[in-house]
Amino acid sequence: MKVSRVYNVLAAGVVALLLAASVPVGAEEKSRMDVVLERGKLIVVTLTTVPPFAFNDDKGQLVGFDIDIARLVATALFKDPNKVEFVSVSAEGRWPAIESGRADMGVGGTTTYPDRAIRVAFTRPFVDSGISVLVSKKSGIKSLKDLDQEKFTIANLNNPQMADRAKRFFPRTKVLTFDTPSAQFLAVKSGRANALQIDTPAAEYWAAQNKDEMDVLPGLLGASQNNGIFLRTGDFKWWLWLDTAVAEMRTGSWYPQYSEIYHKWFGKNPPPQKFYNPQ
Amino acid sequence: MGFARWAAIYGPTYATGLAWTAATALAAAGGAIVWGCVLLLIRLSAGRWGALGVDGYVQLFRNTPVLLPIYLIYFAFPMIGLPWPAVVCGALALVLQNGAYVSEILRGSMNAIDRVQFDAARSLGLAPWNTFRKIVLPQVLVYSIPALGNQTVLLLKDTSLLSAISITELTMQAKLLTEQTGAAYEAFIVVALLYLLLVSGTEVVFRASHRAVRWR
Amino acid sequence: MPPGTLQLLAQGAIVSLLLAASAIVGGTLLAIVLAVMAFSRLAAVRAAYRVYVYVVRGTPLLVLALLLFYALPALDLRTGPYIAGTLVLIIYTAALFAEVFRGGVLAIPRPQWESARSLGLPPLAMFRKIVAPLVTRYTLPPYVNVCVMTVKASSVLSIISVWELTLAAREIIERTFAVFTVLGLAAAFYFVMCFGIDRLGRRLERHLALRGFAGERA
Repeated sequence: MKVSRVYNVLAAGVVALLLAASVPVGAEEKSRMDVVLERGKLIVVTLTTVPPFAFNDDKGQLVGFDIDIARLVATALFKDPNKVEFVSVSAEGRWPAIESGRADMGVGGTTTYPDRAIRVAFTRPFVDSGISVLVSKKSGIKSLKDLDQEKFTIANLNNPQMADRAKRFFPRTKVLTFDTPSAQFLAVKSGRANALQIDTPAAEYWAAQNKDEMDVLPGLLGASQNNGIFLRTGDFKWWLWLDTAVAEMRTGSWYPQYSEIYHKWFGKNPPPQKFYNPQ
Repeated sequence: MGFARWAAIYGPTYATGLAWTAATALAAAGGAIVWGCVLLLIRLSAGRWGALGVDGYVQLFRNTPVLLPIYLIYFAFPMIGLPWPAVVCGALALVLQNGAYVSEILRGSMNAIDRVQFDAARSLGLAPWNTFRKIVLPQVLVYSIPALGNQTVLLLKDTSLLSAISITELTMQAKLLTEQTGAAYEAFIVVALLYLLLVSGTEVVFRASHRAVRWR
Repeated sequence: MPPGTLQLLAQGAIVSLLLAASAIVGGTLLAIVLAVMAFSRLAAVRAAYRVYVYVVRGTPLLVLALLLFYALPALDLRTGPYIAGTLVLIIYTAALFAEVFRGGVLAIPRPQWESARSLGLPPLAMFRKIVAPLVTRYTLPPYVNVCVMTVKASSVLSIISVWELTLAAREIIERTFAVFTVLGLAAAFYFVMCFGIDRLGRRLERHLALRGFAGERA
């Protein structure tokens, strides 16, 4: 027994040394923008199971609204929508991929939240979103209030905003936590959970694909939200360019291309370019 | 913020995770030992087909990763009308997997029992079930304590995989804290230290039991 | 069975095998270094070895992988899931292999050491002609066992989104809900790989014993 106590102390010592050695390195001098232009290719981190934002179709190809927006960004940089490499991660893997520099930017139904913005920077929104609740018809839940009962279970994604919403809107419901939206969906489909919360377009997509089994509850959980491109904080040059690109897509010269993508995935016109009538 | 301050603030939140890990590991370890004994009994008493069946079972679980039965039981059982709670599913997968290894450990220890004892038991007129219960099992278990301790440690570490089916044990706790506070380093170092603690504790318990029975 | 399942699973299996292979190669090399440390004359070096093995064997592989994958950005290192995954597997298997090697060396009967020394052989020749063949004979079965464990351990990397057989199966299931079929097929792939390695190991054992490499004639 004495021997393992020695090991405990030694292990703690090693850990202490590791912690002492991990002094943060100085900030990068070069902007990501220059790195990307030099490389000739854009590396984008994304979730891959949030239809219609980013998901694999039947042929196993990564497609979606966010994917097409990322390709539009690549077109703006390199005149070629194929100069993109996608890195697929689970929900909590998005931030390390950006922080470690593995990816230049990220998409995938990612909503802008102030606490998230401490770790990664967001451009202005390229699409509006909101959080809806998808329920299985078998559970008989017809409204958000019905869901708030101890006998029901909701499937969350493992981010703090989902946990907060669950506590705020359904304090009595049991909570399951998964690391990808498709795992949440599998939980509802297999009966592990009665409901899940996810971006409205994703909920509506799944409900449309499973008309007999699933339904989207009316109303949003909280306010209408913003989905933006996220990138590493502190890199003003890169953020400014990406934000300019998004601005031009939604309200300026790239509106036609943006409209086309919007139409393809949502089947309707995007919000108008300007709130006044441009001359 | 410094590691010590972070640990002081968020340390207590690990308590639930620690409790779940310890409880699940304990239950699954107990279940695996029982199941391993049952498998041994089948091997001994069901003739050639019994032995072959147990062999096949053992080979299946030795050559497949434990994540597969965990996913299978958790996601597929509700589809066939068995919506057991996540802990039960996870523990069951661990029991099935580790039971295979336990039965092999026990089988190895059986060779340590002198053949003479079997003949003596038969001459006394003991039924096979009683032979197993009174003579084989106690000795085999006692001989196997070190190896069973090793297997329990492996099972303890495998409980971290239960985070994939949404059980709030230690690893899941660390992931949630990482998301909440952005402090990945601190969160996982604390969890690693807690696991080392649990592992050391288990080894201490088994070493003590080994010494206690050897004395006899 | 959903279309394309077999192809995707087969691709995943190949990735798992490649991950395991890199980990086995890297792990063996690191393990040799570690095993040498284990027998060092300096107490501090031996202690470092024991701490390494204690920490790596006492922490779940998933926690080690998450630590490496999520905490590395704190050290400003750029890695993707594959590199982090292979690294953690190498660290993990090195500890296991090192213990196997150490056990093998310790299992050599004393008389062998003494007769080797009395022969006045230089250390390198002693290693080549006496230690290595004996260690190989004693360590081949546990070595093959660790190789099988490495293939199984690669499935844990699916949780840090390394695309390999388990993640491939999970993606198909989450898309098509054919849980039993797909998991059954994935299990079959793993079984073939692991059982195959085990059988190959046994054939190698017999082969080496026959060729007298194990230090005794057939």
